[in-house]
Amino acid sequence: MRASFSWLNEFVDTGLGIEETAKLLTMAGLEIEGVEEEEGVLDVLTRPKDTLFEVNVTPNRADCLSILGIARELSALTGAPLKMPPYKVKDEGGPEINVEISDPELCRRYAGRVIKNVKIGPSPEWMKKKLEDYGIRSINNIVDITNYVLIELGHPLHAFDLNTLKGKQIIVDMAENRGKKITTLDGVERKDLPGDTLLICDAERPVAIAGVMGGADTEVKEDTRDIFLESAWFKPQGIRKTAKRLGLGSESSYRFERGADIEMVSIALDRASYLMREIAGGKPSGAVDNYPRPFRPHIISVNTVKIRKLLGAEPSNDEIFGILKRLGLNPEMDGDMIVAIPPSYRLDIDSEADIVEEVARIYGYGKIPSTLPCTEMSAGGLSEKQKFVYQAKNAFALAGYNEAINYSFMNINTLDTLGLQMEDPRRLAVKVLNPLREEDAFLRTTLIPSLLENLRYNFTRGIKDIRLFEIARVFVPIPPVRRVLIEGQPGQLPFEPLRLGGCFFREKSYLFWKEPEEDFYRAKGALEEFFDAVKIPDRDYRQGTEPFLHPGKSADIFIGGRRAGYIGALTPTLKEAFEIKAKEDAIIFELDLDLVFESLPGTPVFRQIPKFPAIERDIAVIVGEHIKAGDVLAEIRNYPSPYIEDASIFDLYKGDKIEKGKKSLAFNIRYRSTEKTLTEDEIEEVHRGLVKHLLSATGGILRA
Amino acid sequence: MEDPSRLTREFLEELGTKKTVGEIEELRVKYLGKKGTVTEKLKSLARLAPDERREAGRLLNDFKALAERELALKKEDARRRELASKLASEAIDVSLPGIFRRPGRLHPVTLVMSEIIRIFTGMGFTVEEGPEVELDHYNFEALNIPKEHPARDMQDTFYISSDIVLRTHTSPVQVRVLEKKKPPLRFIAPGKVYRCDADVSHTPMFHQIEGMMVGENVTFANLKAVLEAFLHKVFSPQVPVRFRPSYFPFTEPSAEVDIGCIFCGGAGCGICKGTGWIEILGSGMVNPRVFELAGLDPRNISGFAFGMGMERIAMLKYGIDDLRLFFENDIRFLGQF
Ligand SMILES: [Zn+2]
Repeated sequence: MRASFSWLNEFVDTGLGIEETAKLLTMAGLEIEGVEEEEGVLDVLTRPKDTLFEVNVTPNRADCLSILGIARELSALTGAPLKMPPYKVKDEGGPEINVEISDPELCRRYAGRVIKNVKIGPSPEWMKKKLEDYGIRSINNIVDITNYVLIELGHPLHAFDLNTLKGKQIIVDMAENRGKKITTLDGVERKDLPGDTLLICDAERPVAIAGVMGGADTEVKEDTRDIFLESAWFKPQGIRKTAKRLGLGSESSYRFERGADIEMVSIALDRASYLMREIAGGKPSGAVDNYPRPFRPHIISVNTVKIRKLLGAEPSNDEIFGILKRLGLNPEMDGDMIVAIPPSYRLDIDSEADIVEEVARIYGYGKIPSTLPCTEMSAGGLSEKQKFVYQAKNAFALAGYNEAINYSFMNINTLDTLGLQMEDPRRLAVKVLNPLREEDAFLRTTLIPSLLENLRYNFTRGIKDIRLFEIARVFVPIPPVRRVLIEGQPGQLPFEPLRLGGCFFREKSYLFWKEPEEDFYRAKGALEEFFDAVKIPDRDYRQGTEPFLHPGKSADIFIGGRRAGYIGALTPTLKEAFEIKAKEDAIIFELDLDLVFESLPGTPVFRQIPKFPAIERDIAVIVGEHIKAGDVLAEIRNYPSPYIEDASIFDLYKGDKIEKGKKSLAFNIRYRSTEKTLTEDEIEEVHRGLVKHLLSATGGILRA
Repeated sequence: MEDPSRLTREFLEELGTKKTVGEIEELRVKYLGKKGTVTEKLKSLARLAPDERREAGRLLNDFKALAERELALKKEDARRRELASKLASEAIDVSLPGIFRRPGRLHPVTLVMSEIIRIFTGMGFTVEEGPEVELDHYNFEALNIPKEHPARDMQDTFYISSDIVLRTHTSPVQVRVLEKKKPPLRFIAPGKVYRCDADVSHTPMFHQIEGMMVGENVTFANLKAVLEAFLHKVFSPQVPVRFRPSYFPFTEPSAEVDIGCIFCGGAGCGICKGTGWIEILGSGMVNPRVFELAGLDPRNISGFAFGMGMERIAMLKYGIDDLRLFFENDIRFLGQF
């Protein structure tokens, strides 16, 4: 709401300057968002530039959507008296028109007046100025007056050309009863209005959409002589619904849907009639006022002790009483009890809490002390799961990955690019009804599409080291069986499992210290560091199955026998689709963080530091190329001897020195007993057994 | 008996030609070894008269002491030189890069969020979570925002169905916690929120932290003190904080909280639009209606709630001037924090 400083001064003379006024209003809840000088003033000498306040009126304060309303607030804040503009009108004769209201719930009051012999013409300059300051274009004196009163008093009015109304009759009724067709003032022909749209009709047809917009047929034009001026009160929810549905927000609907002042109906009508007589020479006739159930105010009683208790401040009874009185809430005080009766324009005040708020805001938030709470102690902090998420973030950051945050949306077509099977559960995604772009119409079921976009974005900008991870929820519309069993949640809302995704791309040619040829192992290393940091003991990398990953350079990750994710190099097709034009692989990975969290071991239990020495033995076996080192290592670790403490792989060789199609794997094995120092003979016996077992299990031979 | 001074001269001459530890050791053996010159000479003393023998013995011992001293000095010197040349030959180019794994960085939103979480958990707040896809009931109705309420215009909403939305704020977590746990309560609820809006100053997704404290005697004065303490920790203990009336359907009285502009010190600049103040969070006393809707009796309890945007705080803290940077995931941006 824009309000000019000089217009406010016409209503209330506070004696305050521009800045003081702005501050006073801001600190009382009417935030002045902007202070501007008026534009387009030609002669600064005859008329100084006015100042315009941009007032942020919160949705609860419909009463402040007018100059009168803001002035009323200033009056309450300063005690300066409020001056009303003249509105007493001399009228002659009877109403000349009959008003019928079909549903007094939707239209609680409908008043109007015929004004004859108006001379349509331009508005006076002072009126044009005020309209333009507000941001409304001047049209003609009659339309301008309705707009002027709307800004001045906050009540919407509508003027019809009387001679276009059929049958001297106004009926306020639903579209379903009166016809669903109307051409509105904006020139749009609306053919099929919803049945519950409230309309203003004459004897034959709809002439306006109540509270929202008038009809083109009955518009006031250059040749209009007699008008019918409408001032009414419509139910906020109905107006809002209609305005939203038709996409027809207007200054009128804006005020009606926030709650207009029902007692202002007749005053606004009179004020506009007065101006039409003064400016357009019209002759007002008697008003019609259909107001079946007059306004009944709320009566609210509050205990001042409770106000003080809630605020933690000490406004006295008299102060509280004074505040409520200045706000026009008609208080009566009896000891600590105050009864307040809010006026018709304060529809927002209907409970004790509303009174507390009024007292607090006029008393001044600045005067309320700051007192730290005295309360029972309780342990705050993060849950174990939340801590785990931060642990994961730190682990990946330490491993060189920057944290990405992407929108939760995905382009469903990317799933085709990924080559997901039709029955892949990730194709079942939550759809947004009103997305900003079609590409953002679905919620992510996997983090990979976003990370591939991140790869593309950074790569095409010449970045040669792209390591990113993201931790976010994905959205699964149909609950997986295991969760339903565990939590028994209703299936209405989607599940929001937590995922960790990452991507790795690095152009190695410029690295000074050379790294292993296969980037897969670098990326896998980051996962391993994370698993190690959170102490996931056993994780198993099996042949990958994701369609978008290189089948020979990808793995599915299993923890405790359950699939926890995957890692691998993008297929060349995918790399091309995302414009990664480089010889290096682009590695991506994704983990089910809920599953990882569920797999965390408990608190570590201390084990004695070994008292007896260990003895190490190396062994190199030549096996077929297809044999996985991990499987051989597992054979060693699982060999049934209490003396094998640990084993690790330390060499892989393929080449001239051994048979083609074979490779040599070398392992270091550490033997130890917890009870004694092992003798060479004892170890030799176990080791021989192990070697024999290994060769038969792998079909290999010992490397000489 | 030959002249011992000649022996000394010969020894010193010979020692002067020796360079390495090995050569010096050989010389020691030659003169002082079991079959060395000194031993030989001592044996030959037996042939002399007792007086002469004593005198010659004394001279030989003097020589021995001198030789040992000189050998040790020379040897130490040689050892030092040999070590120095060995070390010199092993020198590497220390200006070459270290084998260094540059750590990645956490997203600025995560950094700000975890800092705020740390401050509130330090005050005994727990951290609660709620779904991002939320029932209209929790996102609006239970927060005193019925259908067709103008306050719904304050938030453009993504709809999944007529009664399911992407949460537009973290406030629904308030209701979920109030329904589940018994007061006294104090918690914060961080998370993603969504608004159907995208331009220079809006992204369709951003992050908020909600907070709530509920008990028997929680006051507006408490709200002020807790939020002031918080803002003084996040920004600086000197930053001015002001509370001004505002409107949120789920709090009453409601307060918008501003801090003195950290860029101009309150004098007025482009960032604070000349006001000297920067809006930082919304807050208020829990509307009794919200307690009722959550099944609690508002006569026995009171509470305050607050909510703030993480991107906004991150922008102020790091001087980031474009909201969209947060979600482009440009490494050159992410690597800075
Ligand atoms: Zn500033």
